[in-house]
Amino acid sequence: MCAKWYLGTGAQNDVVINTSIHLARNLKTCPFPARLNLPEKLKVNSIIKGAADSIQDYSFNYAEMKTLSQAEVVSLAERHLVSPEFASSRDGRALLLTEDESVSIMLNEEDHIRLQVMYAGFALDEAYRTASIIEKELSSKLDFAFDDRLGYLTQDPTALGTGMKASVVLHLPALVSTSQITKLITTVSKLGLSLRGSYGEGAAAKGDLFRLSNTITLGISERAAIENLKSIALQIAAQERSAREELFKAPVTEDRIYRAYGVLKYARLIDTSEFMDLISLVRLGAVKGIINMDCAQIEALMIHMQPATISLSVDRPLDRTERDKLRAKLVRQTL
Amino acid sequence: MICQNCNKNDATLHMKRIINGRAAEVHLCSDCARSLGYGEAFSGFGLGFGHLLGELLSSNENGSANSMRCPACGKSFEEIAEDGKMGCAECYAVFYDRLLPTLNKIHGKTSYMGTKPQTSGNSAAPSISLDELKNALSEAIERQDFELAASLRDQINELVREGGAL
Ligand SMILES: [Zn+2]
Ligand SMILES: [Zn+2]
Repeated sequence: MCAKWYLGTGAQNDVVINTSIHLARNLKTCPFPARLNLPEKLKVNSIIKGAADSIQDYSFNYAEMKTLSQAEVVSLAERHLVSPEFASSRDGRALLLTEDESVSIMLNEEDHIRLQVMYAGFALDEAYRTASIIEKELSSKLDFAFDDRLGYLTQDPTALGTGMKASVVLHLPALVSTSQITKLITTVSKLGLSLRGSYGEGAAAKGDLFRLSNTITLGISERAAIENLKSIALQIAAQERSAREELFKAPVTEDRIYRAYGVLKYARLIDTSEFMDLISLVRLGAVKGIINMDCAQIEALMIHMQPATISLSVDRPLDRTERDKLRAKLVRQTL
Repeated sequence: MICQNCNKNDATLHMKRIINGRAAEVHLCSDCARSLGYGEAFSGFGLGFGHLLGELLSSNENGSANSMRCPACGKSFEEIAEDGKMGCAECYAVFYDRLLPTLNKIHGKTSYMGTKPQTSGNSAAPSISLDELKNALSEAIERQDFELAASLRDQINELVREGGAL
């Protein structure tokens, strides 16, 4: 059993939870996924799998989505290894995944290839380096659709160009509780980036987790897009830190953190939404040194407590109450 | 405020949006908004970008009954305008001229500045080339992002000092 990427701790991890790089690529000679029938999709899968298998330094597990249960596929989405869109329809789609789950390749999602590299903490350069190594390996075996004027061609013309989406997931409890987040979302959108809830949208983002991504793919190089994202992410992190400092001046903050910890430690039933609210406070306390818990442990818990993932930890379907009961038990054991 | 499209009526629809990286403010009267295909697409986040694209494409295609099809995948421009999805790589070449105004609208800039696929045989190129950095630097200066420009300049100097890529 190999350690998953999220069990590591990364730079800036008081605010930055993880980093990911996505690259979209298509085979030159094949129509895009929406115009392929099932046998053609399976053929595309096997061509790409063949190229991925020849990469020396990375070994991938391959799974046709059709062979997985609905809960298994949703759990992959909860762990952000596949997109919700990918999970919504399983026919003709497949996944290549490394053992540590840091590299995943969705086959026949919006594009033939959606490569994702995900690392803990703030690691844009490292993630981009890995993504481009794998992309280069693939491109030495496969002919990608590319145009000198438009860059890499994608099924959705709004994604063409570099085909790169870089993201960092940020934990912003202080900016949420001081109501600065809405303004920040607007500001960021003017800078060619998007900031949205990582689980759930807008100010209702669960666990105060937000994903900051670039939206520019044409007229800008990968490097410039990453540098731009990096500098905005660091500015938001600094803003969050100073908002936290303000927050901790009021004794009620520490009280709320201990209460959250108390509920998580003793509750007998807990649903996802309450869990995410409370664990967010606990994480805030852990970073501050009030609660003796490791951030990596908290991140792993956030992932493992999502509804489909929790159902997978037992070998039978659970109803809502059973699931909330199991969640409370697993949380108690961890705390 | 006056409508930016007809320069006549009062603008009732005010939108701030990012068109691939460039912030643009759009002020339109309700008539122009409708005729340009900006309907509900901007009022909420419910509709995907694909749908918006479809609207933009079809608004460029008023009345043209020319239904040429891509020889590689058989998709027509009308079908692309309808679902916002290109059929294959060849579609871009076949419909390039008709797509260009829309691509301009979506991306703001239509010159590609990213990495290129390696041509078979010559690998071992540095992962970030000097050219890429220089491009990024001039972009940063153009956007007046001097903090980024300074950091890029340092990276360029370092690369040159190493004698890595020239
Ligand atoms: Zn008007
Ligand atoms: Zn085509």
